[in-house]
Amino acid sequence: MDQMTLNVRTAVVRVDGLSRRYGATRALDQVDLTLERGITGLLGPNGAGKTTLLSILATVSEPDAGRVSAFGLDPRDAAERVEIRRRLGYLPQELGYHRHFTVAAFLDYVAILKEITDRRRRAEEVARVLAAVGLEDRARSRIRALSGGMRQRLGIAQALLGSPDLLILDEPTAGLDPEQRLRFRELLSGLPGDPVTVLSTHQADDIAAICPQVVVLLQGQVHFAGTPSELAATAAGRAWAAGERDDRAHLSWRGGDNRWRHIGDHPPAGAELVSPTVEDGYLMLSHAAGGR
Amino acid sequence: MRPEAGERDDAALLRAVARGDEDALTALYDRHAGWLTVRLTRRCAMPDVVDHAVQDTFLAVWREAGAYRGGGDVAAFIWGIGVRRLIDAIRRDNGSRWRLPWRAAESEAVVSAEDQVLVGIEHGRLGQALAELSPELRGAIEATVLDGLTCAEAAVLLGVAEGTVKSRCHRARVALRAALAEQQAGPDTKAHRREAWGTS
Amino acid sequence: MTNSSPGAAGPVAGADGHPGEDLLASYAAGAIDEVAAWSVEAHLTACGRCRSALSAHVDAERLAHNRSVLLVRAAIGDGGRLRRVLRRGGLPDHVLGLVAATPSLRRSWLLSVMGVLAVVAGEAAAVRYGWITAGSPGRIPGYPGQNLAPFLLVGPLLVLAGVAAAFLPMFDPACRLAAAAPFSGFVLLLARSVSALAAALVPVAAAAFLLPGPGWLPVALMLPSLTLCAFALAAATVLPPRAAAVMAAILWAVPALLLAVDDVPLLIVQRNAQFGCAAVLCACAVVLLARRDRFEWGWIR
Repeated sequence: MDQMTLNVRTAVVRVDGLSRRYGATRALDQVDLTLERGITGLLGPNGAGKTTLLSILATVSEPDAGRVSAFGLDPRDAAERVEIRRRLGYLPQELGYHRHFTVAAFLDYVAILKEITDRRRRAEEVARVLAAVGLEDRARSRIRALSGGMRQRLGIAQALLGSPDLLILDEPTAGLDPEQRLRFRELLSGLPGDPVTVLSTHQADDIAAICPQVVVLLQGQVHFAGTPSELAATAAGRAWAAGERDDRAHLSWRGGDNRWRHIGDHPPAGAELVSPTVEDGYLMLSHAAGGR
Repeated sequence: MRPEAGERDDAALLRAVARGDEDALTALYDRHAGWLTVRLTRRCAMPDVVDHAVQDTFLAVWREAGAYRGGGDVAAFIWGIGVRRLIDAIRRDNGSRWRLPWRAAESEAVVSAEDQVLVGIEHGRLGQALAELSPELRGAIEATVLDGLTCAEAAVLLGVAEGTVKSRCHRARVALRAALAEQQAGPDTKAHRREAWGTS
Repeated sequence: MTNSSPGAAGPVAGADGHPGEDLLASYAAGAIDEVAAWSVEAHLTACGRCRSALSAHVDAERLAHNRSVLLVRAAIGDGGRLRRVLRRGGLPDHVLGLVAATPSLRRSWLLSVMGVLAVVAGEAAAVRYGWITAGSPGRIPGYPGQNLAPFLLVGPLLVLAGVAAAFLPMFDPACRLAAAAPFSGFVLLLARSVSALAAALVPVAAAAFLLPGPGWLPVALMLPSLTLCAFALAAATVLPPRAAAVMAAILWAVPALLLAVDDVPLLIVQRNAQFGCAAVLCACAVVLLARRDRFEWGWIR
């Protein structure tokens, strides 16, 4: 009880009973969450409500019910909403760009939206974020000439403008090759001011590598909130490796080492117990929730 | 030989910049930003203002490289822009909003002519005469003669009224002429010399 | 010649006519007297080798920082001649930057608008001068203004299209970024719409001027066009944005077509219609201002 109240007090972003529907679909259903400084991963399949949740946290969408509190500010109040936005950096899923813009011009545009009115200060900020994502040489390139990975880095760069305290990244690692992911991890861990960072992904290995905290979202509900090792531990005693497929297991697939991996309560004959990974825990939860 | 080869490269770089070659701008910056920073810092001690002036200078070079007519060397061209950008930056810092238009032809001509005089100093007579001026008079001479500024521009740089700049220049020139004449004529009583030069 | 007594006319020459390393270092640190400094500077203007040597005494990080800011500013540019003029005229640069992203201010859009106008105006002129015969047999040939029906229908709709492209989220690829940013959504929308309105009115008014028709036509088109756009914006506070734009278009197209069928197309821009437009415009302005908070949150689906 004491630990919980302590968490509530030090939490920087809190979500209470958040709900949101689109037509007949319940995108979010009574979501409760606390986010602290540092990186939190939001893990879930497509359609689980990750984008909706991030969109509401970024004050882009309005929830149907529930409350959000960021740095003690409530987005329902107009002035406080603007104040939240001043501390916000947001990378939406599938960010569109004005295709005729150059990289520098686009970042300049976003910097104006972030209320950096002085031209020189804007140029300094743009130079800073370009260096942070490694796109300094591409300042004059047109966005339509960039590769997918570069565009993703540009998206991350615009989110970093203004050194936000709350960084919301929707599928930031999509389209990045392994070397770029590594660079991305380094970038996130070195951000000035230690912001609250939330990033969503449907790949468990991103979580294991980057995020000290993880939240699993399935069908609009939170099914897990804790550390990646705790998530892995939910599959303890139920992860097996064997030489062949087993139909009775909950889940069975061929792993990278050419052995079959199973998750379930009853091991097939000849299978050995293995140490569960984050992915195992996630799949376990996902299966239990009735999804795949 | 080396300095001449460098000059030709500079002119070629400037022509490339006029064509929109960003690498040429970078090369020009790498060659000239260092000495420009130092020389501007001698005119204005505020590093932020100097940084802004250096950025603005090369931005102006980027936009107006086509105006360089090839007369006078590139370093002088850059200095002519640089010192005026410094004055703009000082004005902005002071809260003044009037922008100084940059004049290509004037800056080249004035600086080159004066430089020719000063490069010819053999650390002798003129140098000694200059050294014996008071600091305020020297500052006025530096701004109007060495840097080729108008009295209005020099006033901003020195932080005094325009009239003050004019009178200091006048007194300085009088003192220099007197000092040079005396050096030619031969040593005279120190007291007489002091009277002729005057102080602020 | 090496350094003599301090304060004397500064010696520049080292052994080979260049300032030595120590002298350059002192100059860079601001530690030599003025006259010596002048000599060094005069030398530097002519000598590339010493200029490079001097650069080594400047903080490399400072140079690198200024260089990256310079390159970014060069990359961003100053927005072109029009923007420079507007900036000197007093408009804040950051608002100009936001407006510059509007699709209906791009050359391609304006050229399309002019293209459509050329077709419509050309058809009107052709009918008027009898090069082609006017449509249905029931029409009285030569009735004033008949030939203008297509233009009267299309002109204000083109202006509406320009404004719609300025404020509809579907035309702004980065609309979610704008929604999550502190800059006021309403001010952004208004700035873009007003710019698009002004940009679209110019070719439409010019076409109206060139058309063979009543001389007051260009002026008469202003108010209806303005009203249409205001209606679309005001409706967008109540309806979804696309529906609002479509509704505005219908509200113009239907009367224009009905009047054209009745062979009195010009009525739509004449006196009574102008008063009607003025009334609707006022109402829309009030609604828009009262409900402007709608654009600040949850406007993007």
